[in-house]
This record gives sequence, C-alpha cells and structure tokens, in this order.
Amino acid sequence: MSEPGDDKVKHLDEMTCLLYLERQLDHARGLEISAHTQECESCRTLLRALERETRLLTRAMLEDTEPLPSRLAQFHEAARRSMQWIWGLAFGMAATGVYALYTGYIQPWQQQLEQAGFSGTNLLGLLIFQSPFWKGWQSMVTLLEILALATLGGLGFMFLRRRLRRGSALALVFAGLCAAMLIPAQASATELRKGDRVTIAKDEVIHSDLYVAGGRIRVDGTVEGDLVVAGGDVEVAGHVLGDMLSASGSVRVPGQVDGSIRGYAGNITIKGQVGRNVMTFGGDVNIDRDATIGGSITSFSGRASFDGHVQRDVLAMGGQVNIGGNIGGSAKIRADELNIDSSAQIAGPVNYQGNKPPQVSEQAKLASPVRFEKVKHGPDYSNLHYYIWQVIWLAAFILYGLVLFSLMPKFAQEAVHYAEQYGAAAGLGVLVLFGVPIAACIACITVVGLFIGISTLFVWYASLYFAQVIIGTVVGQWLMGRTSEFWPFIGRMAVGVIIVRLCTTIPHVGGWVKFVVILWGIGAISLAIFRRFQPAAATAQMPPSAQPLPPNTTIGGPLPA
Amino acid sequence: METEKPRRMSAPGTTEPTGAIARARAGDAEAWGELYREYAPAIFRFCRRAMPTREDAEDATMEIFMKLKGKLSQYDTTRSFSAWLYKVAANHCWDILRRRRIRQDKETEDVENLPLEHPEPTQLEKLIEQRSGEEVRRALEKMGARARMALVMRYYSDMTYDEIADALGVRRAFVGVVLLRARHELRQALEGNAAIAAGGAS
Repeated sequence: MSEPGDDKVKHLDEMTCLLYLERQLDHARGLEISAHTQECESCRTLLRALERETRLLTRAMLEDTEPLPSRLAQFHEAARRSMQWIWGLAFGMAATGVYALYTGYIQPWQQQLEQAGFSGTNLLGLLIFQSPFWKGWQSMVTLLEILALATLGGLGFMFLRRRLRRGSALALVFAGLCAAMLIPAQASATELRKGDRVTIAKDEVIHSDLYVAGGRIRVDGTVEGDLVVAGGDVEVAGHVLGDMLSASGSVRVPGQVDGSIRGYAGNITIKGQVGRNVMTFGGDVNIDRDATIGGSITSFSGRASFDGHVQRDVLAMGGQVNIGGNIGGSAKIRADELNIDSSAQIAGPVNYQGNKPPQVSEQAKLASPVRFEKVKHGPDYSNLHYYIWQVIWLAAFILYGLVLFSLMPKFAQEAVHYAEQYGAAAGLGVLVLFGVPIAACIACITVVGLFIGISTLFVWYASLYFAQVIIGTVVGQWLMGRTSEFWPFIGRMAVGVIIVRLCTTIPHVGGWVKFVVILWGIGAISLAIFRRFQPAAATAQMPPSAQPLPPNTTIGGPLPA
Repeated sequence: METEKPRRMSAPGTTEPTGAIARARAGDAEAWGELYREYAPAIFRFCRRAMPTREDAEDATMEIFMKLKGKLSQYDTTRSFSAWLYKVAANHCWDILRRRRIRQDKETEDVENLPLEHPEPTQLEKLIEQRSGEEVRRALEKMGARARMALVMRYYSDMTYDEIADALGVRRAFVGVVLLRARHELRQALEGNAAIAAGGAS
C-alpha cells in the first residue's frame, strides 16, 4: 500500500484489490484502499481490470446458451408417471391384502353370523346402523356402503383442500358428515325422560321413541317407537313396539319387545317375548325358561344361560355357557365350558370351541352330536400357514407405513423423533392406550357423542398399527443411521418393521414386546399431535449484519449485462 | 429479435413462489411440477457450469431435484428459496466432484502458497477485453473442479463467502484466495485457448 511521501510507491496486491471489490474488507480498510486508488493510477487500473473480469465471468455464466435438455424437460412428468405406477402397484398389493384378509378372517365370521340369523348384514352394521339411533339408515347396512361414504368424504376433502386451508376443509367435511348422520335421528319424534326414578305407568302410552336416563327405570306402559335406556337398574315389563337399546348396570325384560334388543349391561335377564333378535354384551346373560326370542341370539358374556325358546340360531362367546331351552336353529359356542341340560332341544348342529369338553346330558334332544374343537393357545409354529400369514402381515405393515409416510411425511418424521423421548412417550402411551377407548365408550353412550366415539375408536385402533410402524422406523434408524430423505426413510422403516415383527413372534416374550412397542409408539404419536397443537413460539428475526460498503465500486450488487 | 438479458434466479424483481412451495411441501404434485419448471433451467445451467460434462450436469440436475423432494421440509421459508436451492445444488455437485478427487490435492497446496503480487494491470485489461463469453465458458471447462466450482458459486449463484466456505469445506478466510487462484487458472486457460487459436491460424 502506498505511503505518502515515500520515494517508491507500494502498490496494492491483487488479493487486497479482489477483497475490496467483493466488499470483504472492513470499512476502515476500504477507505484506505479508496484513498490509495485515487492517487495510484496502476492500482486503479488493476481494480478496473478485476471488475471487468468479474463482469465477463458473470455474463459468460449467465448467458443461456443451451436449452434445457428434453431428458430433463420430461423428467418431472416421467417421475410422476413412475410414481403413478408405484401407487398402482401399492394399491394392487393393498387390494390383494384386503382380499386375503377378507377370505381368511372376515368371510368365515360373516358366515357364522349369517348362520346365527344375521343374514345380509354384518356385525358393524348391527352395532351402528341398525340400532334405534339409525332408524333412518336402515338401508345402509353393508360395509361397502360405509366405505363408499368414507371415500366420498375423502374425495370431498381432496376437492376442498385445493380451495381451502387443510384444517377448514377437514372441519367442513366432518361437519357435513355429522350433519348428514344427525338429520335422520333428529327427524324422528322422540320423548326424553330423566331422573333418579323414572316410571312409565302401566296405562301410559308413548307415541314416539322414548329416551330414558336415570338410576331406577321401570317401563310398565307401552312405547310405540324405540326404547333407549341408560340407567343403573332397568325393568321393562310393558310393551315396546320398536327396538330396545340399553346401557345399564342391570336389565330385566319380563315384558314384550316386538323389535330387537341390544343390551350393554352387567346383568341381563329376559323373561318375556322378543319379536326379533337379541344381542347382548354383559357379565351375566339369562334367557329365562319363559322367554321367547323370535330371531337369533348373539351373546358376548362371562356367563350365559339359554333356557327359553329361541326360534333361530345362537352364537355365544364367553366363559361359561349353559343351554337348557329350545333352539330352533344351530348353536355356535366359543367358551371355556359348555353345559347342555336334559331339558335342551337343539334343531340344528352344535359347534363348540372351548378348553374343556362339553357336558351334555343324555336326555338332551340334539339333531346331531356336539362338534367339539379344543382351542389351541398361541400360534402353531409347525404350520406353514402361520408363516405365510406372518409374511402377509409384514407386507401389510410395510404397505401401511408407506401409505401413511407418503400422506403425512412431516408428521411421521416428528413421531419418530418424539419416540426417542422415551419417558414422555411411554407415559403418554399409557394414558392414551387405556384412556382413549374408555373416553370413546363413554362418548358412545350419548347420542351426539356416538359418531365421535366410534370415529375415535377407529382412529385409536389404526394408531395401534401405526405405532408399530413408528417404532420399526426408530429401530431402523438405530441400525442404519438417521435420514430425512423419503426413500431412505422408508427403507429404514421396512428394515425396522421386519425386526419388530420378528421380535413380536418370539414365544412367551413376543406378546410383551408387542405391548411395549404399541405403548411406546402410541405415546410418540400422541406427543407429536400434542406438540402440533401447542402454540409455536415466534421466531426472532435477526437483523442483517451491517457491512460497510467500500466506495467507488459496483461489485456485489446487481450487475449490468 | 431481441434476446432476454441474462439474469440470476435471485435477481431483484424475481418473486419467491411461496404458494407453490407450501403446496409442494404438503405433497401436491402439481406444485412440485411448477417449482421444477421454474427452477430446473437455472439449476441445469449451474450444473452445466460446475460439472465437467453435459451428461454430468444432466444427471446432477435430476439428482438435485430428487433430493429436494425430501429436503423441502427443511427449507426455512423466511429465507430466499433460490439461495437455498443453489446451496443444495452446490453441495451436491461438490460432493460428486470431491468423490472423483479431481486435482484436489494439488489445489489445496496451491491455495496455501499463493504469493501476494501486483500483476501488470494493462496486460490483464488487454486479456479481459479481447475475450468473449464463449471463450470464458470453454476455459472454465478446462479448469480444476475446485476453481471452477468456486467461480460458479460466486459469479453465477451469487453465494456469499460463508456459503462458499461451507460448501467447499475451507475456512472463510481462504475463500478469497480460492477465488483469486481460480481467476489465475482461468487466465491461464484463456491464454492457452488463445495460443491454440493462434497456432491454428498460423
């Protein structure tokens, strides 16, 4: 650098000139260089030459001499097509999986239910759409129609997503579906009674549906519509012309119900006449010797006694099943023990799966001997079928993970991230795993909460599987390292899921491994959801650092072409 | 017919496609297509300047966009999208070049020992004045990977010294040295081209 008064002028080196032009020197140094170049012709020329060189370089690089190659121009479309092919394959695999599940599990169940007198319908339809709440939806009984509704909702969401924000579109679709489902229920006339003790007197006639809630409920009169009761102790001695739905501690029906009875209770006793079917969930179920059931009985209970007259089939699952009455159709029993008394008459075949051999009285009148199959506990490792199903399930898990990770890549990564907060994930996992189904069941008791409760149960059930996929991904990342890219992430998920599934099939320990994995995974998912709903802290915007601008230069800003 | 003036992707007046970015992040394939159509030509040009062959540039462009799909969630929307895009592209190209180890060892040594000189300004001016963009591009193709990469990052993508240091894995204080060394190499290549041209003409 030049020093005024020196005999020999010291010129700026090229490095200093370049840094000056590129605005990389501090303000004071920049001023020194500026002052020097005003006096030194050689350095000024060097600066000018370097600046021209910069312009030449920039222009040479920015000149668009080559068009985008056709290979690149078509790359995006080709990638889309290839993804469509992958999706086609994925849905093909999914369809195959669904078909295999249907033929392997659902169809045999459906056949059992049909034989039990529920032809043309299914368990889901019976539980949801044929209850008194859904009187206006009698036609909507097949799973296909439910899927069609869900698909319609999904399409609506996809359609609206482009136009509205994701949250509002989702809310709109759900609100629409809820409204659609509530309209028929609201349209029918109803009468509501509640109190500690509610009594419908013998000479009283209710000309509509009747909803009753209370500690002690007694119906001696006539209900021309459906009867819906929720209470501690319920007795129906009168006449119900429609269906009866009950969620109570104890239920006794010495009266007459022309429709079906569906009861959720600790103790259910039917002594009167039921025109159609009976479906009971309870600790203790008694069909008294005086009872007459016009259709079939489906019972899930700790102890069940069928001493009355059942015109069609009986399907019972429970700890102990006693049959002492008359069954017009077949009996399918899955229980710890089965007793058939001397007074029993069964017109159809009796199939029994249980731990103990059936106790059949010699005086009992059976169309054919009881077909007994001892229940095998745990998987049959010697059976090839077991391994084939394990592979199918494994493929289904990976496919499920692939679909979910594709639909919600960011959420999946967050859930995997939160799974590594072991304490929080496990704690929340316990709460959600046990708390959510209890809350959902409570919600199902109320009319408005039924849809929310059932939806929550579905989501909770799906998340049990998603939890295993999340933990599989965590395991995959332990082995193969972390990644944020999609396909490597999927690869880690696949490897991890294989390992987790293998661990869950280990005899004696596998069940516990599965429980821990679900607990952990569902906690991680809940944590990810919880954090999403937390208000995000505003990110502080850092002001740009003030750089001193050297004088007499155009470098660094937009350049003229 | 008037040709469009060359401009950077991040030049003033270029609006950020925030809507398309948000939709692409949510998995909208159409939005992703919009981003690709908007930015693929510029990224291809970047790769074309940074990579030794056209085929390398095409491959690198496709790889960068495939990588971007996974990385889009990491993009900080408060910053310039094009700057972020160039950073990803630069890192990817330099990763490829570094794996090939093209003249890397020699360059590192040269960078450390660059003498501080005051070249003859008039000669430099003369050399620059006589060169066209086409000649510069041909000279760039003959340069070492690190030198070419540094020039492309600085004078095509307008990346900062910090970003260049980060991408090349050198200290920030050495970025100026790398750039100056690259200019020297470019001048040699330009002179070599001129000598070849003169030899061909004689």
